[in-house]
Amino acid sequence: MSGWRTLWPNAWYIAVREYRSRVRTRSFVVGTVLLAVIAFATTQLPVLIDYTSSTIQTQVAVVVQATGMPPDSLALFGGQLNGQPADPNAHLPFVISWLAAGDEASAQKDLEAGKYDALLIVTRDAATNDLGFTLRTDSPADGRAVVGIKTALVSLEIEDRLYRAGTSTDALRASFPFSVMPVSGASAAPKNISQEVSASLLSTGLIVLIFMAIITYGVWVAMSVAEEKGSRVMELMLNATTPIQMLAGKVIGNGGAGLTQYGAILGAVLAGLLAQGPIHKAVLGTEAGTSFGGLSPAVLAAFVVLFILGFVLYSLLYAALGSMVSRQEDVQSATSPLMMVIMVGYFMSVFAVQAIDASWVKIASLVPFFSPYVMLARVSTGHVEPWEFALAVLLLIATIAVALFVAARIYSAGVLLYGQRLSLREVLKAARVSR
Amino acid sequence: MSLIIDSVSKRFGDVQALDSVSLEINPGEVFGFLGANGAGKTTAMRIVLDILRPDSGTITWNGTPNTELPRETWGYLPEERGLYAKMNVLEQLVFFAKLHGVKPKDAERETREWLDRFRIPEYADMRAEQLSKGNQQKIQFIAAILHDPQVLLMDEPFSGLDPVNVALLKEAFLEMKNRGKTLVFSTHQMETVEELCESIAILDRGRVVVAGTVRDVRRSTGRQMVRVAVEGDSEMAWLGTIDGVRVTRRGQDYTEAEVAPGHDPGAVLQAALGRACKVRHFEMTDPSLEQIFIEHVGQIDVSERTLAPRAARA
Repeated sequence: MSGWRTLWPNAWYIAVREYRSRVRTRSFVVGTVLLAVIAFATTQLPVLIDYTSSTIQTQVAVVVQATGMPPDSLALFGGQLNGQPADPNAHLPFVISWLAAGDEASAQKDLEAGKYDALLIVTRDAATNDLGFTLRTDSPADGRAVVGIKTALVSLEIEDRLYRAGTSTDALRASFPFSVMPVSGASAAPKNISQEVSASLLSTGLIVLIFMAIITYGVWVAMSVAEEKGSRVMELMLNATTPIQMLAGKVIGNGGAGLTQYGAILGAVLAGLLAQGPIHKAVLGTEAGTSFGGLSPAVLAAFVVLFILGFVLYSLLYAALGSMVSRQEDVQSATSPLMMVIMVGYFMSVFAVQAIDASWVKIASLVPFFSPYVMLARVSTGHVEPWEFALAVLLLIATIAVALFVAARIYSAGVLLYGQRLSLREVLKAARVSR
Repeated sequence: MSLIIDSVSKRFGDVQALDSVSLEINPGEVFGFLGANGAGKTTAMRIVLDILRPDSGTITWNGTPNTELPRETWGYLPEERGLYAKMNVLEQLVFFAKLHGVKPKDAERETREWLDRFRIPEYADMRAEQLSKGNQQKIQFIAAILHDPQVLLMDEPFSGLDPVNVALLKEAFLEMKNRGKTLVFSTHQMETVEELCESIAILDRGRVVVAGTVRDVRRSTGRQMVRVAVEGDSEMAWLGTIDGVRVTRRGQDYTEAEVAPGHDPGAVLQAALGRACKVRHFEMTDPSLEQIFIEHVGQIDVSERTLAPRAARA
């Protein structure tokens, strides 16, 4: 196995050529720009969510047929629905129209015409004297609007019963509306839904990034090998270089092109996060803190390490498989077994996010072919010990060393064999006698 | 001090590609490998280049085993021609030059010099796919010699070239030879070999059937050829009656006959004069390489001798 001591500078020349020819293609440029735009747009989702929730108002028509309502009760009901914002200009999620008892028929028509989102009819039962409510709406029965109305009605009903039991008006005014209960986190600051979602989004997003990188750029490596074989440039390369130099050059060159694309995406994400505040202010007129969604420097560093190691491991195998075919068209079928392994690792990590402390997740996060994904899932959700991460990285590096040796063997034999697709056995047989 | 191939054998599955091949190629020599397809020419070259390892046997150049020689010792023009289709000519030649150990700062200058020498400087900024096959082949030849190798191995360098480019390539060959390079090439074209090579080896199914200087190889059978033409008798039926003489070719210009070893070709002339023929032409010569080749290897497959545009398949 010659070539170890002469890895440079040839591997570097090959890497530079691979990188340039990859980065100059139109598909690379278009793809990178497109992905960057999508990434930037994604970071503006919180602004969009805030914007829509700040403009959506539920129109509620209330027809009061009941008599003997407590004083101020209807205003209190409105206050309960919208909360009691201190700011008189704040956005109110509900707009309430009070209608007279006889307006039910016309209100029903307006509801059907879409003028109202909900029609609430308040009646009084003749026998029990209790209030009765009828709500007609096309909003989902368990949706935010209906749940809000139901909650507010409970306080209205309580108020009505207290009033009938003889509680004074002053005492009632002092009791309603109820104060909002504060919620704190189990140990630290309370989490809100958007934080929870962005943490799991981050973890899923990073896993998808590694997954996409390995299948996209790994196939690039295989295609590049098959292209050289198909165009017979390989024959010229073989005299000038060693298989190790070619392998290293291809992995570095294509990986570099991949990292360039990722740099562009991450740059767009960063720009998007920094632009969140100003855009939020421009669109909504209010300031909003930038949300990095749990993306800490440590998570980012772990991502880069796992990204590079995972890519190197898989692209070595892609190169070996690429050397077994004679035409680019055959790359897809030749690399499908590897694709299976990658998919298994990916789905494992998707399930792992749901069951992050399960023992199978702990084991899978150390297994070299799966660790780039599964360990990333654990790191990004913060469920990992440092030594576990270190062990996973060491195992990955050891596996890469073995893969490099095997891939170089297969490669040096595979590139000389032309003709129909070769079976792994034929290639291994040839590998024994090649240099 | 030469390229020595010592009892090299190589087997691929059931096929004995090389069977104890031994050859010595002198420095500064133009050496031709002759053989039908599958005779082992390409395998032999790949083994010399250390792209393949032999099952047994050794290769040395000036006493150093090929496994220890720097790769830039060799220039290789593979039989299957290929370039990076989308890459421009200058860029890929510079790339190959650097891979072969040319210093990056010299690579571009030397590439441009060679493009000038081949009278194609205007191709420098074109993509390889924009060039004709013949011009692509020139680019590949340049790629093989840019780093000034000591030994140049070329697999069928003339196949697919038109006569003008063949002449240009022969010119380049001679220039390389004048620079003291050792040239080894394989071919089916006997005329080219007789024109360019000092020594040859004929391979058949992995064995060297005959090797040596062109002169020695042509004399190796001990037979001689006579070409004779006489006034008024184009048949010359009497030729075949002379002991040890066999007519091999009848033509309008002359008749060619083969004289078996140990017989005197002069007997043919004597017989002609004895019949009071007016001898218009008489010539004694060694058998041509083609005849030697046919004798050792059998009929050459006609399809292999034509100048079919091999490169067009790529």
